[in-house]
Amino acid sequence: MFLALKELKHGKLRFLMIGVITVLIAWLVFILSGLGNGLSTLSAATFKNMDAHYVTFEEGSRASMSRSLLNESLAAELEKANDVSAATGMGATMGTVLKESASADKEKVDVAILGITPGNFLEPDVIEGKPLEANEPLEVIANDTLKKKGFKFGDTLKIEGSLEKMKIVGFVENETYNHLPAIFTTLDKWRTIQFAAPGSDKGIKNPVNAIMMQGENIDSEKLNKFFKDTETVTKSTAVQGMPGYKEENGTIMMMLAFLLAISTFVLGVFFYVLTLQKSNQFGILKAIGASNRFLGKAIVAQVFLLSFVSIVVGILLTYGTALILPDGMPFSLDFKLVIIYSLLLLVISILSSVISVRKVTKIDPLQAIGRLE
Amino acid sequence: MSGIQFNSVSKLYQQGENQVLALDDVSLTVEQGEFIAVIGPSGSGKSTFLAIAGALLQSSKGEVILNGKSLNQLNPKDLARLRLEEIGFILQTSNLVPYLNVLEQLLVVKKMAGKVTKEDKENAKELLENLGLAVKLKKLPDQLSGGERQRTAIARAFINNPSIILADEPTASLDSKRAHEVVQLIARETKARNKAAIMVTHDERLLEYCDQVYRMEDGRLKLDQSFEMKTVSSRG
Repeated sequence: MFLALKELKHGKLRFLMIGVITVLIAWLVFILSGLGNGLSTLSAATFKNMDAHYVTFEEGSRASMSRSLLNESLAAELEKANDVSAATGMGATMGTVLKESASADKEKVDVAILGITPGNFLEPDVIEGKPLEANEPLEVIANDTLKKKGFKFGDTLKIEGSLEKMKIVGFVENETYNHLPAIFTTLDKWRTIQFAAPGSDKGIKNPVNAIMMQGENIDSEKLNKFFKDTETVTKSTAVQGMPGYKEENGTIMMMLAFLLAISTFVLGVFFYVLTLQKSNQFGILKAIGASNRFLGKAIVAQVFLLSFVSIVVGILLTYGTALILPDGMPFSLDFKLVIIYSLLLLVISILSSVISVRKVTKIDPLQAIGRLE
Repeated sequence: MSGIQFNSVSKLYQQGENQVLALDDVSLTVEQGEFIAVIGPSGSGKSTFLAIAGALLQSSKGEVILNGKSLNQLNPKDLARLRLEEIGFILQTSNLVPYLNVLEQLLVVKKMAGKVTKEDKENAKELLENLGLAVKLKKLPDQLSGGERQRTAIARAFINNPSIILADEPTASLDSKRAHEVVQLIARETKARNKAAIMVTHDERLLEYCDQVYRMEDGRLKLDQSFEMKTVSSRG
């Protein structure tokens, strides 16, 4: 630590430069992780929030709500299966809504209309207003982001391309589905919207898109065998099946992986060059008795200090950035994720110094004597 | 026996297909309180001799005994430890760590061995004061003159209270006034602290401070009687 600190103080400019690079990398890593987190929330928050463990789809739908259609009565049968403590149908459809009073088209808003059974475990708690009621088909609860679009408690909504109307009686928070704010309604109401066209329900009675199940030890294989033409997957698989979810996450993860790899090499090369430059000095220190351990520790300590400070600065900058990002930006920092990426960056930078440490162990103290005949 | 002893030490280098005998059957004993010089033309094996005495190289044949311990059987880790504890190196100029001030140059040696105590700090200061560096404690190497730098290196060699001091051309880049000062200081400290000291040099002006002078030629070490006579007479 002694050598490391003294040298950091002495070579301010060169360490400042590498510090700035590390700060920028850390900053970008955190922003990307925030964006990734924000996007996946936007894409599948409703799925992620719901208190279910397994989801049953129609066979061949590859865990996608939009490709799956089942009879609601299946829920009751599934509920009787081993380890299933509760099962209920759910339907989803995308739609465009506008206020009944609206005249201009620009007040249209895209939403996800989700059909559920009022009062069961799929219904999120309202933060304002009242929950759904089975015998009030007109009433819906909506995600609170709609407020920013000008919708209010008690507003009546028209659904474009349909004669159906809805009235907002409650607001929920953090409920987005397929990147859109969610509106929860009863299954019956949802069906009248989704299957307005004759034959679109493929003749299935009381259709739903999927059946959500509670029960942590559900044996999906068994259910697949027992219930023909169904496939049961974990909730996280169902989340992966959300349109665009995998692609978005994959892109962000790839960028993160590249960033981390780049930072490993940038730091590694930087410290390696510094070590090469100082090999004579290290040789002298070795000649006067410094062990490999002593010098290795000095290098690792230096990398650690530099990365630690840079990462902390990066975190501060990221939270600063979060403040000035526009509202609509899907950016949400998860503190746990920030800590994980910080540790990852720290580990990576320390790994990057390994090559320098190796170099130091190979320096021959004999070169201190100089011109050996 | 303390001090350093060479018992028929030889060093062979493999250079391509040829074998080079850099040291040829060298025997030498330097007792505590003795300051000897080794002179000789370049290529004579001086540096090899110093490297073996300093536990940086191991001999091909023969045995080196430092403060009663044979260096032959030690592994690199033990050798580093031995260099730290038993050997004080004074190398050519500008071999100080560029980002440490004069006091820290000494403390870093203490760090290598473990913790720096208050006592170590006082010792280092006293040593530097002795060498006339009291007002330079906080200066970095590039703020020092060549002579001051070399005096810092001398202090660094003595800080761990080693049993032997090895000086490798300590006056290489100094003018003759400074060179005399530096060698005088090495001689003085060697006597005062009762160390065995070996200086490798080609600067024959400085030999008057040494107790004995050896001449190295083609790997063979010989006592130079003429210098011994001179020292004795200059003393007498």
